[in-house]
Amino acid sequence: MVRFVEFIGALFGKVLSEVGAIGLFVIKTLSVGISTFPNLKRFGEECYNIGIQSLFVVCSVGAFIGMSTALVGYATLKDLGAQNLVGIFIGIASIRELGPAVAAFMVAAKAGSGMAAHIATMRVKEQIDAMEVQAVNPFWYLIVPRFLAIMVVLPVLVVWNDFFMLGTGYMIAVFQLKINSGAVMENLLSTVAMADIWKGMIKGWVLALFIVSICTFKGFTCEPGALGVGKATNQAVVYCIAILIIINFFLSQWLYGGIGLRGM
Amino acid sequence: MASKEEFRKYETGEPIVTVRNLSKSFGSLRVLKDLNCDIKAGETTVFLGPSGTGKSVFIKHIVGLLKPDEGELEVMGRNVPTLGERELYELRKHLGLAFQLGALFDSLNVYDNVSFPLSHHTRMRQKEIKSRVAEVLELVGLPGTENKLTTELSTGQQKRVGLARALALNPTIVLFDEPTTGLDPILCTTIDELILKLKTELGKTFIVISHDIEGTWNMADQVGVLYQGTLLRYGRNADVRRDDNIFLKQFFGRTEDGPMIGV
Ligand SMILES: Nc1ncnc2c1ncn2[C@@H]1O[C@H](COP(=O)(O)OP(=O)(O)O)[C@@H](O)[C@H]1O
Ligand SMILES: [Mg+2]
Repeated sequence: MVRFVEFIGALFGKVLSEVGAIGLFVIKTLSVGISTFPNLKRFGEECYNIGIQSLFVVCSVGAFIGMSTALVGYATLKDLGAQNLVGIFIGIASIRELGPAVAAFMVAAKAGSGMAAHIATMRVKEQIDAMEVQAVNPFWYLIVPRFLAIMVVLPVLVVWNDFFMLGTGYMIAVFQLKINSGAVMENLLSTVAMADIWKGMIKGWVLALFIVSICTFKGFTCEPGALGVGKATNQAVVYCIAILIIINFFLSQWLYGGIGLRGM
Repeated sequence: MASKEEFRKYETGEPIVTVRNLSKSFGSLRVLKDLNCDIKAGETTVFLGPSGTGKSVFIKHIVGLLKPDEGELEVMGRNVPTLGERELYELRKHLGLAFQLGALFDSLNVYDNVSFPLSHHTRMRQKEIKSRVAEVLELVGLPGTENKLTTELSTGQQKRVGLARALALNPTIVLFDEPTTGLDPILCTTIDELILKLKTELGKTFIVISHDIEGTWNMADQVGVLYQGTLLRYGRNADVRRDDNIFLKQFFGRTEDGPMIGV
């Protein structure tokens, strides 16, 4: 029992110090970001990297989740005799919850792990030290552009993913479940409000901040050797997934807690 | 304020780096123990020592990558451990460090690596940068390699590109961390001659870490022998060479066995 308490105490202390370290890292990034003109070339490169790296996985995962949403919605609503309302189900599930979450998860898994691995490798091979010695601030060159890029790209991917999921969900509803296409479309359009798309982008934006903070921090503070790179990348992804689930809950709570279908 | 003060020119023989009672530990491992030395401008100072004695750690203190636990370290009139980020970056524009393993950015090609400090710290035009890059690559014996990826180069070539990058900004002090380790004998000679040439032609200050004893006698003005974090011997080339100390004898290959381990 005493051991258990000790263990929990130690774990708690470790988590706290890690959170503190990430906090300091983000503050440092902010201060460099504010006090210097951003490196636009690197920002462009990172937008391209993150966007291109993640586009395919986001779309392919989004497509399948959109399709299964339609199936599950149909199965649920059929018993109520309301299968024609499946469009509402697809619209709500995709735009409000799954679109942003799936996009964020895939970006974390693909671009986030890539960031962690790349920065960690640079740390291990003394390339970050070399940058320092050449009087170029690594925060300015490596970290700030990634922060800016992911916060621009992820909300865009969220919207893109929204449409992808709606599209594939619609196709399943119409072609496999044989629901009247006009009814599906009308229900879809009447459910999805502009506000929902905005809120999805806000979710993407906040989740992006968590992804990039964790992944760049883990890379930047990588321990020596190939083992260090593996550990940094691995931890970055695991922490991201865990944190994303929790933060996503609070975002849903904040944006949708206790409101109805049409945002009322 | 130190940052406003101009970087002045140092006359040959004037101390440009002064180290006083420098100590550094990593956890319980004491890596540098109470180091003292003056490094003179316009000279080549070579630090010799077996691997793992803290040579790289020492050089990282000079460029401000590591902070000492105790002691003082002055480089070009700046007290390095106390410098703020901005002042440290200002100082570093006058220092060129070639890392032991090159430390090239492997996402960039040779040209982008060597031009990196130029494009960030000078107002040179693209054309001028191009010719400067060609010039330093020629110096290190790698002309025309601009478009190669760094991953296509051998370790020795990577080191030489790292050296070209360190020279690009025409720094006052050039620091080489084992420039010739792992190079074939002909290249070693080339690098040694390059250092000699740059010193005599441009009056640069060189701080070199080396394993190569013959090369050291050829190029050094001043020699420091580091062993287990202490400066065993620090003096003029000819004096150290003749020294009778049993450690030095062993290290310089004049006796087979001695008190040093892991040489
Ligand atoms: N950042 C660091 N953290 C912990 N230990 C280090 C660090 N850098 C170097 N060391 C240790 O300090 C000792 C000296 O290293 P180094 O200066 O690289 O030796 P060398 O003389 O071969 O260049 C080694 O035992 C090394 O493991
Ligand atoms: Mg070394």
